[in-house]
Amino acid sequence: MEKYEKLEKVGEGTYGKVYKAQDKATGQLVALKKTRLEMDEEGIPPTALREISLLQMLSRSIYVVRLLNVEHVDKNGKPLLYLVFEYLDTDLKKFIDSHRKGPNPRPLPPSVIQSFLYQLCKGVAHCHSHGVLHRDLKPQNLLVDKEKGILKIADLGLGRAFTIPLKSYTHEIVTLWYRAPEVLLGTTHYSTGVDMWSVGCIFAEMVRRQALFPGDSELQQLLHIFRLLGTPTDEQWPGVSSLRDWHEYPQWKPQTLARAVPTLEPEGVDLLLKMLQYDPANRISAKAAMEHPYFDGLDKSQF
Amino acid sequence: MEYDPENPLTISNEEQHRVSDPIEALFAAESDHMSPLAGGHLDLSARRDAVSVILQAQFGCSLDPFAAYLAVNYVDRFLSKREIPSGKPWIVRLLSISCLSLASKMKKTDLNLTDFQREEGFIFDSQTIRRMELIVLGALDWRMRSITPFSFLRFFLSFFSPAQAPLLHALKARASQTLFKAQNEIKMLDFKPSVIAAAALLSAAHELLPIQFASFRSAISSCEFVNKERLLECCDAIGDVAMDGCDLTFEMVSSSNTPVTVLGRHCSSSESERTVGSSSDECDLKNRRISELRGALRLSQA
Repeated sequence: MEKYEKLEKVGEGTYGKVYKAQDKATGQLVALKKTRLEMDEEGIPPTALREISLLQMLSRSIYVVRLLNVEHVDKNGKPLLYLVFEYLDTDLKKFIDSHRKGPNPRPLPPSVIQSFLYQLCKGVAHCHSHGVLHRDLKPQNLLVDKEKGILKIADLGLGRAFTIPLKSYTHEIVTLWYRAPEVLLGTTHYSTGVDMWSVGCIFAEMVRRQALFPGDSELQQLLHIFRLLGTPTDEQWPGVSSLRDWHEYPQWKPQTLARAVPTLEPEGVDLLLKMLQYDPANRISAKAAMEHPYFDGLDKSQF
Repeated sequence: MEYDPENPLTISNEEQHRVSDPIEALFAAESDHMSPLAGGHLDLSARRDAVSVILQAQFGCSLDPFAAYLAVNYVDRFLSKREIPSGKPWIVRLLSISCLSLASKMKKTDLNLTDFQREEGFIFDSQTIRRMELIVLGALDWRMRSITPFSFLRFFLSFFSPAQAPLLHALKARASQTLFKAQNEIKMLDFKPSVIAAAALLSAAHELLPIQFASFRSAISSCEFVNKERLLECCDAIGDVAMDGCDLTFEMVSSSNTPVTVLGRHCSSSESERTVGSSSDECDLKNRRISELRGALRLSQA
């Protein structure tokens, strides 16, 4: 840890404090995340071992924030683990905010939205191909390199890989605004669809510069969704009314999605619609999304 | 989250059709998990000593063979990156113990290191093992979900798809046996895990399914991820290893009545009589079968 000089605290991550720091030898900026993983008599805890090695495997993709190193410090005789990640100076939330507020409010250029969404899909496809769900995708968790126009997925939590058989997970995971309806309705099985719903919400937010479904409670969140997309029925989403937290809701008819994202071209609206399918089995996968005509004008060779 | 050597990427069956081809990710990452002899400075005597400690643990404490396999993989990768000072045999033992500890944690299997060490006549305290664990983790870049030949068995078995489930099961069992044995062969370290897996399955197919062998061989050698020349070399190398335990096959053949045995008998009936013969006969037989296998594999190159 003497290798790094802490510069400032930049936030509270999922596992604790995050510091911006500098590698004294190379000058490279890094993000230091202190984990709650303590070494004990048995050495490195098995869960930490399995999860950090999974994180390491994922960080091969340039669309996932790179895990550079794992450091340990002795604190009162107990080694603590720090994860050392590459540092990026902004995230998608700040990036969108800078286009909404401040001295020069303006829409995000369509080409930037297209490129960021493609990179996001690519990163998500990478995680999914390794059997890992993110489950907490939100603009704050997407780091941005403004100069290079690169977007990377961060805060891949520990303990999030799904295995065979699928376990049911605890419910407090996804930030409300990006939370998929099946999660809000208490499904016991999470699938890759939960991430794709979040990707859809993030897509819309880049276009609108404000959240698509800004609910402040689980019920309000559902009502936001139902008001735009219509109250779901068993025909369009088999089994929805048997989900644990299903109640009788007001019957809303679906609105025209394009009206929520008026500046988005028709191909983009079509892709968004496929991401916001109620039935998780019908929701487009990250891999399929990358092939959607919305990206036809994008030079994919650069990615 | 548990590390499954046959599925290091933790993909569930129901998700498999939705994700980008996971097998591509495996092929792309396998080189990170090798410890090639060429260009490296693998200390062969240290390796031999370490493997012997690990095998002791496997047989003495009935450790999961996969955990032992994984521990040897860690030892190999460590030795290809770090030099062990000569004249300090205790370091090799400490390395073996730490790799065993890490491997059993990855595999979620219990291993009582204290008991094991007591039997072996050396005891490292937990702090020393903990420190060594961290050194190993650092040297291996925390890439502990090793991609080994086992990770590719399922993929290559899919090339055998016309075969029935019991046959596939037998093939996989035979190939797995070969893989466990092949790990002790230094020369196998030069081959990619995927190539070793393909060679082990081909050798098993040659033995158990001689009739379908030719079609499997051409299917596997046409796989875009496999370098044919390397596969051939690896088949050569693995031939000896695989044939080394042909007695096991005979046991398997005579002890069950699944469809495997029909084909198994078909290919070995003429030989099973000979196995009761003199040991020189057995030796001849083994050599003959190895050269048959080599010949059969070469044909695919033509």
